[in-house]
Amino acid sequence: MKREQVMKEIEKIGKEVETEINKGQNPHLEIPVRTLSNIEFDKDKKQLTLGERKSKRSFMNVAHTRKFMQTLMVGSFCHDLLREDLHTSLRDMYYALKRTIPGTKDNTFEEQSESDPCVIDLETMGDFLREEMHLNADVRGRVVGNVVIKDRGDTVNWAKLGSGGWSIPSNVEEIELKTVEADYIFVVEKNAAFERMHEDKFWREQNCILVTSQGQAARGVRRLVNRLSTEHNLPVIIFTDADAYGWYIYSVLKWGSMNLAHVSNRLGTPNAKYVGLTMSDINNYDLHNYTIKATEMDMKRAKELSQYPWFQKPEWQKELELMIKMKKKAELEALSSKGLKFMTKEYLPAKIERKEFLP
Amino acid sequence: MTQADTIFKEFKEHSVAEFFKKNRQMLGYSGKIRSLTTIVHEYVTNALDACEEHGVLPEITVKVEQLGNDHYRVTVTDNGPGIPQSHIGKVFAQMLSGTKFHRFIQQRGQQGIGASGCTMYAQITTGKPIHVITSTGKGKVYEANVMIDVKKNSPLVTDEKEYDGDFTGTTVIGEFKDVQYQQSDKSPGEYVRRTALANPHAKITFIDPNKLKTVYERAVTVLPKKGVAAKPHPKGLEIDDLIEYAHHSKERTIKTFLVNTFDRMSAAKAKEIEELTSIDFQRKPDSISWKDAEEIVDAIKKTQFLAPSTAELRPIGESTIERSFLNVLEPEFHSIRTRKPAVYRGGVPFQVEVGMAYGGKAGRGNENGSTAEILRFANRAPLLFDGGGCAITKAVNSIDWKRYQLRNIETLPLSIFVNICSTYVPYTGAGKQAISDEDEVMKDLGLALMEVARDIKSYVTSERRKYEKHTKKLTLTKYIPEISRAVSELTGAKKEVLEANLLRIVNDKYENGGDEEAEEEAGEEQ
Repeated sequence: MKREQVMKEIEKIGKEVETEINKGQNPHLEIPVRTLSNIEFDKDKKQLTLGERKSKRSFMNVAHTRKFMQTLMVGSFCHDLLREDLHTSLRDMYYALKRTIPGTKDNTFEEQSESDPCVIDLETMGDFLREEMHLNADVRGRVVGNVVIKDRGDTVNWAKLGSGGWSIPSNVEEIELKTVEADYIFVVEKNAAFERMHEDKFWREQNCILVTSQGQAARGVRRLVNRLSTEHNLPVIIFTDADAYGWYIYSVLKWGSMNLAHVSNRLGTPNAKYVGLTMSDINNYDLHNYTIKATEMDMKRAKELSQYPWFQKPEWQKELELMIKMKKKAELEALSSKGLKFMTKEYLPAKIERKEFLP
Repeated sequence: MTQADTIFKEFKEHSVAEFFKKNRQMLGYSGKIRSLTTIVHEYVTNALDACEEHGVLPEITVKVEQLGNDHYRVTVTDNGPGIPQSHIGKVFAQMLSGTKFHRFIQQRGQQGIGASGCTMYAQITTGKPIHVITSTGKGKVYEANVMIDVKKNSPLVTDEKEYDGDFTGTTVIGEFKDVQYQQSDKSPGEYVRRTALANPHAKITFIDPNKLKTVYERAVTVLPKKGVAAKPHPKGLEIDDLIEYAHHSKERTIKTFLVNTFDRMSAAKAKEIEELTSIDFQRKPDSISWKDAEEIVDAIKKTQFLAPSTAELRPIGESTIERSFLNVLEPEFHSIRTRKPAVYRGGVPFQVEVGMAYGGKAGRGNENGSTAEILRFANRAPLLFDGGGCAITKAVNSIDWKRYQLRNIETLPLSIFVNICSTYVPYTGAGKQAISDEDEVMKDLGLALMEVARDIKSYVTSERRKYEKHTKKLTLTKYIPEISRAVSELTGAKKEVLEANLLRIVNDKYENGGDEEAEEEAGEEQ
């Protein structure tokens, strides 16, 4: 969405409130509900999508008044950013908007945790991304590969950035993908594994783009993977720890997250495949000695995953059952028990060659 | 055996000094703070009783002065009848000599120990006598120092003076050590405040050790009814009581014994009872055996009697308590109930009065706001100590306050006033600070508290609703400027216009009534 368009969308929200105020009606905002009950799994698009339910946030309901004010303040702030064509972070915005309400001891915002949700509210209301409101999200994730891009006038070749690779910014909307030479995109959860693979020239040998999300994928990583995959028609392969958290990282990259279900089409990559680590790998590669006992939280999370509609696939159900039965989890590093280069030279190439993926 | 009987028996067997030392705690002399309040209590009680018996509206001044570490002087002045010269010794220095002991009559003091106890305490802690100035109003004033000859339990009156003077009343001045004045709910100041509450016919002035003077003005100008000696009521009579009464009776027959000993016992009633038993009522009363007594008590239980005559009970009365509340507590709301007389144990009549005052000066103020207070009284005399073991406290605590919309009652500006009047208050000990939890007393207390709590509930809930409405309005209003600014920046509308319109929306809802509940929306689904 263009800058002017986003500004118009925000203005529209303000206009509706103004009209109600001037008519003497209780002004309100309508915000799509983002709880699990309003999140649907679109089987055709293979994405989490937001349902139709909306909640009313009204001025006259004392339980809402504060949030009502905060949402409008955030809207007005972003509108300013767009008009001035400036970018800033969520943290900056929080400080810029925090002030004491005259005649009280209350602040407009007490914590950043109050301003952050307002951003998501506006995103869902106006159907745009926070990046399009010029708010930058977390910066996390790195990438290497045979790709040349243009970023704020600079031409950057991801193959020529030494050991560090290119650090993925929060906002990749304006990045121009000039040349992309790769057969697929490989996303690895852990930074340590990324460095090992980079050192072993995995991406050169495999002719892939190597990305690390460094934990749960930030929006920049997700959007970048989405753009590379859709704009250049590249398959995506994902590699995480064998535990409920690792698998949820896969889930978010592929199908989208519940919190951002409204933009799954721009942040998810429904065609992504999962290469490892699986519970079956523990048996197949005899990694039993290198597993970790699953905690109660792990077990609880695994059981939750097994209930999600998008995990209702026999392959995943089998994996989750195994995890619940074995009460074990395994980290990528467990593969190093077979030798430092086992992962990059044997395990991954063999599995990719055989197309041994989970859907 | 009652506590009083025990004291009486012990008294006969020991010297006064030994008795006093042994029973200090029982008489209220335990701890420095409590001892001082006990002294004030004894003198104030005597002063009030004397004024009322004499038929004058009491005017009492209590002064507590600090002389040194744990060393105080207490001065109590009344406008009572004064004490004839020949009685000064007896009143202030002879234990158990009072006219009140073992008489079935409702008065504050009951055991004739009070004033002599103070003399004893002064003597033990300072070695000094009590100084008394009194006049019966015939133009002569008597002054004297009074001590107790501990070996003989007899008064030692010295330094007697007689001179001309024109007043009626008594001033007693005593010096005490091993006592302490501390501002608390157990201090002499609080004792006086509560005395004033339960005795609105009295004007009481209190001067504390910092010379701070508090005057409790008279709220009613009618004296309480005088107490009358009365007969026990048959309901609640226990077997051993009946045997004791019967064996001391000089009546010729069981029938006349019953008719003449008990209240509301007519000849017809006695006949009804006789018919329910196998006993010949022409027999002599002292021939009643345990088994006979059992039968008679059973028969009494099955027989209807008129409620005990209230002649001997002297409740404060709802309207008088109300005047007193308005005078001292100035509450926003109050409710008071004086229940009908009832009877406990051996036919002892009692009556329960409960009042609750909410807001104003009710409750105890402290740095965190107000806390609720339980004001316990027995025959209008405040009970400040041993609250935990007292029937009144137990009854208050047994109420499920949540049912009356009174959550966290300890944090409310609430005074719970409870007076139990009886010709014989069932104290738990001779310190006379707690009432024992007799079933009948507990039941009446519970009922009265619940009735009053219901009234308070309806007041508090309506007040709370008003308050909530007010805070809701404030909440809405305070966010108006930021909302208006944000909308104005988005749309270019005038901020002032938006503010005024929002304020109008709020005012329309909260001032012009409007169905608040119907408009209340459910929380957001998030």
